[in-house]
Amino acid sequence: MSWARRALAVAWKDLAVERRSKETLNALVFFSLLLLFVFQFTLGGDRERLAAVLPGVLWLGFVLSALLALGRTFLVERENDCWEGLLLAPGDKSAIYLGKLVGNLALMLLVETLVLALFVVFFDIDLGRAMPGLLVVMLLGTLGLAAVGTLFAAMTANVRARELLFPVLLLPVQVPVLLATVKATEGLLLGEPLAAVAHWVKLLVAADTVYVIVSLLTFDVVLEG
Amino acid sequence: MVRALGWLTAVGLLVGIVMAFGVAPREVTQGNVQRIMYVHVPLILASYVAFGVLALASIVYLVRRDAAADRVAHASGEVGVMFVGLGIATGSIWGKPTWGTWWTWDARLTSVAILFVMYLGYLLLRGSIDDPERAARYSAVLGIVAALDIPLVHFSVYWWRTLHQPPSLMKPGGFTGSTSILWPLVVNLLAFMLLYAYFVARRVRVLRAEAEAAA
Amino acid sequence: MTADNWGFVAAAYGLTAIVLLIYWRRLAKQERELEALNRSNAERSREPSSSGLPRPEPSSPTPLQRPGAPRP
Repeated sequence: MSWARRALAVAWKDLAVERRSKETLNALVFFSLLLLFVFQFTLGGDRERLAAVLPGVLWLGFVLSALLALGRTFLVERENDCWEGLLLAPGDKSAIYLGKLVGNLALMLLVETLVLALFVVFFDIDLGRAMPGLLVVMLLGTLGLAAVGTLFAAMTANVRARELLFPVLLLPVQVPVLLATVKATEGLLLGEPLAAVAHWVKLLVAADTVYVIVSLLTFDVVLEG
Repeated sequence: MVRALGWLTAVGLLVGIVMAFGVAPREVTQGNVQRIMYVHVPLILASYVAFGVLALASIVYLVRRDAAADRVAHASGEVGVMFVGLGIATGSIWGKPTWGTWWTWDARLTSVAILFVMYLGYLLLRGSIDDPERAARYSAVLGIVAALDIPLVHFSVYWWRTLHQPPSLMKPGGFTGSTSILWPLVVNLLAFMLLYAYFVARRVRVLRAEAEAAA
Repeated sequence: MTADNWGFVAAAYGLTAIVLLIYWRRLAKQERELEALNRSNAERSREPSSSGLPRPEPSSPTPLQRPGAPRP
């Protein structure tokens, strides 16, 4: 089976499992709604304050959802005793990484779109011209989170204190992505064109490139045992 | 060999502290509190060396699977985290009377804080894995990811804000302070590099002995 | 003339000295314990066993055997 076909098979399996059980999706949607309510209670009244903190709050929501989703990347394999199956898979294990990455990316983008839509509706935000730029930033930022997140999820899958160690490892490493996405989103929501936040976008592209390449190269090492 | 290094380190630290208080002048604007710099800067720079060595040792381990490389990475991580933690603490103590605050989120401080948490995570990962071979492998991967992340962290934080003193030692034009400040700093820098090497050498020895005991 | 804040200087140098000393002593303690352990292991493997039967491997984990030690 070709490398790309294997990657796609992994992604397809994960998405199919998710579509049937909807476990992660449900958890993420419910969690996002919860966030929405909390933010409304604390910030909803003051529109100016809301506008000022919106980029940060939005990405905080995205990141927390990402932690939930990514942390569960290998849950199915772990719970169903399939971990050894992963280890014994023939050929380049990086195909598994790519498949998991694509699956995570799809799930995370879906949830982010939902959260964004909820924010727009419930906080009456006018996205307007910001939309295309915002989509670019969301895509690049999510890729960055998912790239390293998938690798670290594999690394922490079988260690003690997994739920605590995963975010502790991921978040400091993801600071460049968090900074870049929030600042870029801030600029875009203020009405600036994508070109005005170009340096942040370039940083995201550089970061994503580094993360994906390194993860592809080292995933085999992680799945050695 | 290690004992000689230990003695050399002790001498270096002694000379360093004498120079920090005897040779270095009383700074004009800050007063004597500026003398904290003679431990703060060497600690931070030595931690950078520690993390650099950690990255290299991690690569060597993944390529050659040599347990010695893993031990060096492990020891370097420990000493590095200790040094950067002390660096942050001494910097904070220095900052309170001079800047009026224990902490500020300027570029330099934020980057170093992120560094500290990243490599603390490295040590936590090591502590969470029982199988020594897997611990070595996973730590090496994390060490490499962290090292590659450092320039990204640096740029993202720097673009985000800047407040810290402009780096006087690493500036392209060269050091502009007087020599009576430079020499105590250089001596202490060397002393702390020796201390780093000494600690790593002893820690590696302990790790090797532990491995032999477990075999 | 600006205040000297010697208290802060003492705190910084003092904290550094204390932490470094604690680490140094921890290293020394680990070395001592491991030396003793390895020496007793070596002695035990050199002594002939009293019953003439092959001696079993030391299986119980000693206080010093930490899970994180890599193999030589």
